Amino acid sequence: MEALSDLLLGLSVALTPANLFWCFVGVFLGTIVGVLPGLGSPATIAMLLPLTFRLDPTTAMIMLSGIYYGSKYGGSTTSILLNVPGESASVVTCLDGYQMARQGRAGPALGIAAISSFIAGTVGVLGLMLIAPPVARFAVRFGPPEYFALMCLGLAMVVFLAGKSMIKGLIATLFGIWLAGVGTDIFTAESRFTFGMMELLDGIDFIVVSIGVFAVAEVLVNLESQAGAELFKVPKGLRNLLPSLQDLKDSRFAFVNGSVVGFFIGVLPGAGSTIASFLSYGVEKAFSRHPEKFGTGAVEGVAAPEAANNSETGGALVPLLTLGIPGSATTAMLLAALILWGFRPGPLLIQENPVLFWGLVASMYVGNIMLLILNLPLVPLFAQILRLPYFVLAPAILGISIVGVYSVSQSLFDVWMLGVFGLLGYLMRKLDFPAAPLVLGLVLGDRLEQSLRQALMMSQGHLSILVMRPMSAGLLLLTVVILLMPVAGKIRSWRLKAAEEGI
Amino acid sequence: MRTKMREIGVLFALMGWGLVMPQAVPAWTPTRPVEAVVHTGPGGGSDIFARAIADLLQKEGLVPQRLQVVNKSGGGPTVAMAYLAEKKGQDHTIAFFTGVWVTNPLTRKEAKVTVKDLTHIARLVLEPAMIAVKSDSPYKNAKDFIEDAKKRPGQLRQSGGSVTGRDNLTRLVIEKATGAKWTFISFPSGRERIANLLGGNVEMMVIEPQEAREHVRAGNLRVIAALTEKRLPSFPDVPTTKEQGIDAPLVPQARGVVAPPGVSRDVAGYWEGVFDRFVKTNSWKKYLEENLFEDGYLKGPQMNKFFDELTVQMREILKEAGAKIVR
Repeated sequence: MEALSDLLLGLSVALTPANLFWCFVGVFLGTIVGVLPGLGSPATIAMLLPLTFRLDPTTAMIMLSGIYYGSKYGGSTTSILLNVPGESASVVTCLDGYQMARQGRAGPALGIAAISSFIAGTVGVLGLMLIAPPVARFAVRFGPPEYFALMCLGLAMVVFLAGKSMIKGLIATLFGIWLAGVGTDIFTAESRFTFGMMELLDGIDFIVVSIGVFAVAEVLVNLESQAGAELFKVPKGLRNLLPSLQDLKDSRFAFVNGSVVGFFIGVLPGAGSTIASFLSYGVEKAFSRHPEKFGTGAVEGVAAPEAANNSETGGALVPLLTLGIPGSATTAMLLAALILWGFRPGPLLIQENPVLFWGLVASMYVGNIMLLILNLPLVPLFAQILRLPYFVLAPAILGISIVGVYSVSQSLFDVWMLGVFGLLGYLMRKLDFPAAPLVLGLVLGDRLEQSLRQALMMSQGHLSILVMRPMSAGLLLLTVVILLMPVAGKIRSWRLKAAEEGI
Repeated sequence: MRTKMREIGVLFALMGWGLVMPQAVPAWTPTRPVEAVVHTGPGGGSDIFARAIADLLQKEGLVPQRLQVVNKSGGGPTVAMAYLAEKKGQDHTIAFFTGVWVTNPLTRKEAKVTVKDLTHIARLVLEPAMIAVKSDSPYKNAKDFIEDAKKRPGQLRQSGGSVTGRDNLTRLVIEKATGAKWTFISFPSGRERIANLLGGNVEMMVIEPQEAREHVRAGNLRVIAALTEKRLPSFPDVPTTKEQGIDAPLVPQARGVVAPPGVSRDVAGYWEGVFDRFVKTNSWKKYLEENLFEDGYLKGPQMNKFFDELTVQMREILKEAGAKIVR
């Protein structure tokens, strides 16, 4: 009941005309930031911060967080239409979203992304209100051994991303993990595999690699096939541009799975929405009745990661609400902004400024509705882009990729790296190596190594710490089960074959 | 002869002009937005500090142009410092430094410049530090912790950031002074450092008062020592390490402003003047108070000695800890 009165207080704040207006400005800007690859929400919030000093702090927070969750809606757009991941969390959306677009189902894919973002965004906020305190205790218990186990579980998702050849999938993953090792080792402050290049000191940006191996490689492969051939079919009629009832039915489980996975990963201060989107995709495929459809344009393959990506926003506010620790980099940015307004962010912030916090939460409900209303009509509009002939579209995709990569850190070096990874992606396609495991290894590799070394420092080098803690042991066990799944499948098919041959 | 007289007359006139003018109009003022380089991404400590200062300078009307924060992250401060080196002698660029600008180049062969090469404008703050433990920890003071660490060498753990950061250097000097040994575990973000302390995965961390204040007030953390010369006004009951008999040098964390190498005297003088006036404003004093910073104001030319001494001290500490020193 307390949650209800808090929410009513929040709504009374969020529904004032000024706050509604700024909430709309936030989610609108967020959608644009999300659509544009490269430009991320932390950078946008930092840029707009000085402009908000003249606003009431609550209003400013409402607007800035609108950018944060709004960008997650927009992130899927270029993933689906052009195979260019708009945000790091939308990489997984490329896998099935782009395939749907090629089959003339760009509209339904975009529509499902918006709907599942809406559902999960709302679930995330509900979770924040109803179960925050117990969940926060879980977040704090999550130490290095647990992160290590979680990263192992994440890497086990390669089983669902590998495609035809498991060996090739594993090689791609290992290469991704190696790429994650490039840069500065935080434990010794020494650089690794940088070859004296200063640009590599911070490692290889994940967005550069994923745009390279997805978007640039795709363009290169398509150029090879008959020039001018029609790549995309865009059906006429509004009905074909929106998800059908069947699509919604197929995505039922994905909405739930994505919302739950996203929320819990969001709660952990050391994880993030990218990991959440990979995990929920794996969960979706593991429980699917037709796993073979994934990667060829399954609507659930869009719904699950997009849901995870959006409910993460609510989850990331949980440790902030209960412990005064931000759950993600963007939340940390918002928190820092509060200092500039003269607030004292910490465990007592929310208790002492209920209007600020609950106004923000209520505005997230409102903002999610605005985003749905804003994004659904844009779907048919965006889908029209694919009517362009490929000789127009291909240079446009390359242009967007280059601008996107450049805008991450205004570095020409990154643009060269984009070329390198585009070629790598092309070679991988030719040799039938899947790209998604490479990206998975790169996302998780850093954290995998860090958490293992942190755990071993905690235990003075005893590996037993990884299995002596219940949560870590449980996650590792689950990892083993998932890794054994394809083996079990192989054995069953051998036995069937043997049985048939025996008769 | 006559021409010579005229020349001398002109010379005197110019000198007189030169003597009067500098007080009225500075020799240089920015004519377009000024780049303010920081070495962290958006939301990092230096980024937030720079944005706050930029806003205050604007509010006080001390700089006629906008200060635009530019994030140049990579290898600690390495990329940001190299960027400044590229801007050698150019105006319209300043940067915000911290302690790692001194320590990091010592262990990095990629570093092209040290803080000595840059043009010093002003040291603005000294960030005090404290030692915090979880509120249900058995350690009531720093001595308790040190005693236990001596009994079980290497088994107690501290969460922190980079190994060249202030928190690890503080550990090294205290270990040397007391003979105790414990483990330092790096975490990339501040939020993970606190989360691991609250979760009991580590026993202790070095924390800034501003960060600790709210956690102490909420009863999550306990502060067992101040790493300062005198007790902190915001934590009057917390004794300093010296008071507790720990005779280790203090590792300062300074923040301030530098400019690219070889910037003209006019430009450097302009910025020195700006910050000289800035540190006297009420909004600056209020900012220091709110963030529990210590006023660390030093004018550009006086910073040389500070950087020199810090470099020598840090090189010694890092060398003893087994780090590879490259310069």
